[in-house]
Amino acid sequence: MRIIATVVAALLIPSQAPSVAQAFRPAHPAAGSPEGLRYRESGTPEGRYRASGSPEGRYRASGSPEALRRESETFSARSAVASPTYARDVAPLIQERCAMCHHDGGSAPFGLTSYSETKRHAAQIAVVTRKRFMPPWKADPGDGPFAGQHPLSEAEIHLLQAWADDGAPEGDPHDLPPPRVWSEGWQLGTPDLVVTLPQAYTLPPDGTDVFRIFAMPIPTDRLRYVRGLEFRPGNARVVHHANIRVDPTPASRKLDDADPEPGYDGVIARSADYPDGHFLGWTPGQVSPLLPTDLSWRLEKNTDLVVELHMQPSGKPERVAPAVGLYFSDVPPTRTPAMLRLGRQSIDIAAGEPHYTITDAFTLPVDVEVEAVQPHAHYRARDVRGLATLPDGSTRRLIDIADWDFRWQHVYRFVTPLTLPKGTTLSMQYTYDNSPANARNPQQPPARARWGQRSSDEMGDLWIQVLTRTDADLEALSRAFRPKVAAEDVIGYEVEIEKHPDDAGLHDSVAMLYLELGRPQPAIAHFDRSAALKPQSPQAHYNLGTALIGARRLDEAAAAFREALRLDPSYANAHNNLANVLLAQGRTDEAIQEFREVVRLQPDSDAARKNLAAALQRIK
Amino acid sequence: MGRVLALIAAVALAQASSPVRVQPLDGSSLVDPFAAPANVKAIVFLFTSTDCPISNRYAPELRRLNSLFVPQGVLFRLVYPNPAEDATAIRQHMAAFSYAGALQALRDPEHALVKAVGATITPEAAVYANGRVRYRGRVDNRFVDFGVDRPAATEHDLHDAIAAILAGRPVPHPETQPVGCYIADFAR
Repeated sequence: MRIIATVVAALLIPSQAPSVAQAFRPAHPAAGSPEGLRYRESGTPEGRYRASGSPEGRYRASGSPEALRRESETFSARSAVASPTYARDVAPLIQERCAMCHHDGGSAPFGLTSYSETKRHAAQIAVVTRKRFMPPWKADPGDGPFAGQHPLSEAEIHLLQAWADDGAPEGDPHDLPPPRVWSEGWQLGTPDLVVTLPQAYTLPPDGTDVFRIFAMPIPTDRLRYVRGLEFRPGNARVVHHANIRVDPTPASRKLDDADPEPGYDGVIARSADYPDGHFLGWTPGQVSPLLPTDLSWRLEKNTDLVVELHMQPSGKPERVAPAVGLYFSDVPPTRTPAMLRLGRQSIDIAAGEPHYTITDAFTLPVDVEVEAVQPHAHYRARDVRGLATLPDGSTRRLIDIADWDFRWQHVYRFVTPLTLPKGTTLSMQYTYDNSPANARNPQQPPARARWGQRSSDEMGDLWIQVLTRTDADLEALSRAFRPKVAAEDVIGYEVEIEKHPDDAGLHDSVAMLYLELGRPQPAIAHFDRSAALKPQSPQAHYNLGTALIGARRLDEAAAAFREALRLDPSYANAHNNLANVLLAQGRTDEAIQEFREVVRLQPDSDAARKNLAAALQRIK
Repeated sequence: MGRVLALIAAVALAQASSPVRVQPLDGSSLVDPFAAPANVKAIVFLFTSTDCPISNRYAPELRRLNSLFVPQGVLFRLVYPNPAEDATAIRQHMAAFSYAGALQALRDPEHALVKAVGATITPEAAVYANGRVRYRGRVDNRFVDFGVDRPAATEHDLHDAIAAILAGRPVPHPETQPVGCYIADFAR
């Protein structure tokens, strides 16, 4: 047992970190590519302390549910009045629900802060609100309530229609609400650090939506605790939304550097992740609030922000130079959320299929509070639903989007976190339309669609951010959740490998997952393939050897380690693992020789010395 | 081949004097938007506005159609129906979207041409040939509704209408429904 434990812990060599760590990441994940020996840690997370008491209304929306209802009643009363006017009826509504984007310098294409501006869009306002294209809120208005929600009631929509039909009368200017001033600066205050692109990107004038990923180095010389991140699009006319991750590895930077223009096309590197279980991202009109200081996330030095911009060409070349403001806290976090992910990577939709469904579910082993949810799917998804079924059989809707639009990828943050007891089943059901009737279908004529991160592929995930009551609960949740998400990721990797069979990094990553899932046979097959693809890589042979140990194929394992050492005689991990194999084979003298080599190569390693001492003990 | 040529020769603007008047950008006296040099076979009116996002997204496609059909005797004229957009704003818009030097522009603040051809939306096209409007509607089917658009158009109605007119064929769909901003709003 000792051998395997040692060996598996050492198996962190593949260049590409496995994606499983992304879906559920407890507080302090192991580093990506360690040098030298690594020994398995006890599995106990570092201490985190949770403040007692349950927070209430942590994230304040512009109005509480009660307030929203009151407003709706007021507007209903107004709509009953004949002949609505701009000053009395329309201006207050627009100011409260639209103008945060529709003001000069805002993210909307035109302002709606004066009568002259608004009347010139009266018919358009009536139509887009009736179709619920505006305000852009895809979730069912009955869900949540979520922070930043600005839904219009039916009565309010009728009011806007009646006003346009009447010829958009101004009314008595004395009825106007006091004007509001829209701050053009940082909404969360002056950031402690502003990260910008070294060089602006130029969006071409033409074509379909552009997805481009930018690695933005964060200039910090030490560990920081981040309690807020504000994204400024730089050119709100074309930046539709931003997905933001952090990458502690150089992987994203390398991809960016390899493209001569700023940023790169493709997919977000698997090493770029949500930090410590916190959502990051931006959609127009939304600013994520500052976190309570006990809930900050850790930002190591040499970390890059990875910003994927979804941009829509405007008809002329556009300069895009986003900026990200970071807000630090002086104290380390005492609580860490968990990021759960439901969803399927087995998605495989036949060309023309109008109604394809995926479902997934997970039963909570502990009590949690749901902080926020984020559904993710591409252009073929039509309706997107998440549900919590409590042990008593009652249900709570997490999210319900009847007309999914890839372009509005909000993080839906509950105004008051949703408390769910142990035994609650979280479930999701998404449906897809891969027929020609779906205008958004990226393939015309439609083609078979499988899982994949490119927008022409399909995805179906529901991310759920939860807080547990205690660290022990977080650990229990992690243990229950990890195998589920690892098993799903394996499916996704296998799909990618079908498309890119010669990508050794994919073989390495999926092999790691198989090992984690206790399935050495497919792990061996993939490491074998990886070693065949890069026969000159000592790491590839080392990985293969390590997986072979898991299958108790010790002779083959020894051969693989020897090949790794032939290529790199100073490969301490390979000496160590070969020594462990020899020990298990009863070839103690040879094992001691290998352990001595480890100590020679790594004279400062206590672990190496202990291993040697333990082996020497055997021959006494 | 001879037959095709004969058909093409049959296409002409065939302008009669029209009562419709619009403003040229240079501020000179009002002009008849249907008037054109004798060798022009068709005029394409493109109703647009400076701040309509869907309208603006079509700029590259409109420039493409312009360069494709100008050599075949088709004249493209941008029409700005929003009275709030003066000549200066229009010139800035044309420069920003690279229309300047390629397309003519007219102001239609009284909506004389809007009413004459029945335009309701920016962007909307009207193709005039043989003395009448032969096509009115969308440039293509890329935009289906607000918030619903195709990654690429699958029906190129304006292109096909112009090509049909030049070839002396009936226009396949003489009227289509565009998606964009409401010209009626500009009248307020």
